[in-house]
Amino acid sequence: MRTLYVEGGSVLHRLSARVKLIGLFLLSLLVFATHSPVLLGIVAVTCAAVYLSLNIGWRQSWLRIRVFSLTIVVVALFTLVLESPAAALETFFRLSAMMLAAAAVTATTTTGDFIDQITAAAWPLERIGLVKAADIGLGVGLVIRFVPEVVMRYQAIRDAHYARGLKMNVISTAVPLIILTLRNADEIAAAIDARSIRGQK
Amino acid sequence: MDIRFEQAEARFEGRTILQPLTLSLVEKRIGIIGLNGSGKTTFARMINGLVAPTAGHVTVDGFDTVKQADAVRGRVGFIFQNPQNQIILPILKEDLALGLKRKKLSAAEVKAASDAVLSRFGIAHLAERRAHELSGGELQLAAMASVLVTQPELLIMDEPTNQLDLKNRNLVSRTIEGLHESVVVITHDLDLIGDFERVLLFHQGQLVGDGPADETIEFYRGLAE
Repeated sequence: MRTLYVEGGSVLHRLSARVKLIGLFLLSLLVFATHSPVLLGIVAVTCAAVYLSLNIGWRQSWLRIRVFSLTIVVVALFTLVLESPAAALETFFRLSAMMLAAAAVTATTTTGDFIDQITAAAWPLERIGLVKAADIGLGVGLVIRFVPEVVMRYQAIRDAHYARGLKMNVISTAVPLIILTLRNADEIAAAIDARSIRGQK
Repeated sequence: MDIRFEQAEARFEGRTILQPLTLSLVEKRIGIIGLNGSGKTTFARMINGLVAPTAGHVTVDGFDTVKQADAVRGRVGFIFQNPQNQIILPILKEDLALGLKRKKLSAAEVKAASDAVLSRFGIAHLAERRAHELSGGELQLAAMASVLVTQPELLIMDEPTNQLDLKNRNLVSRTIEGLHESVVVITHDLDLIGDFERVLLFHQGQLVGDGPADETIEFYRGLAE
């Protein structure tokens, strides 16, 4: 399977996963605490600079955030139509900053580190009997693991359409994508059970 | 290792996948063959409790595969048809560490155990690599390492040479030959199990052949005509 993690020796790579996740959390609070398009713009540009400094390559950097970027543009356009240009700019910069920061953290943190940190964060909930912390960590790790796989599967379905000279539509894309993803998820769940990974403390 | 099926049956949505079966497996090298849809994989999955019998029961060294699934899975490792799905975390050393978490080892012990199993399969240089970068043979060895790092006594492999080129197929075959653990191999690659002590043949959900490799394989060739 593919991974969103990119090897490197940047400052972000060297920071502990815990610091990065707490930083991301605080940044998310910060961008919602301010309504200044200028300040949000500065934060977004800073996040973009950090993301681009990771040496992922321009093309790969764009591909990773393409879908989210387009979604942000659509949301900003709706805000422009329904509210005001200032509100649209604010929305655009706020969401862009969060997306870029999250992309930078994801690219510099291994799935194993994510699992360890989420598990540690969920530990207080386990102590009061609400959840199994390791299962929460594993769940989040699997979500991150699945993102590039779903993209790959989409590309395979797209190629199959091209190879047969068919035009893509929502049904012919979404149905096989969902079925293939669920089947794959079933196999991975079986592997997790077979290796007794779930339910660990 | 003592595996016992006692009138164990598997049904799914009203269809019988595996007819009631009673048998005992104690050999170190066991092959499972049969046409597609014959019940081979269901049989193998019942050994480590991935499929629960709808009637009867299955035990491994006296542990019930349903009621004592954890004890059984600690003894029985399972390698799936697609090794991509076997490796849960993208980077090999992280995946090995994930499998060892239940043992509550220190970081140094996890590293030592991971290094040992990777060295055993000659893939220590792949520890930092991502699964999607590995060749088919390397991926299959990595899948074996991911399971054997927890030291099960029995390894079940579902079509381990499926989709491998000849070089990788031979690499995996040699590795299986060298395993000191007991193995159960489901395969269409009849050469792979040619010298196994016992081979089971399934057909339409029934065990129709059970004996030495040469006899069972010959019977299978006739059945497949």
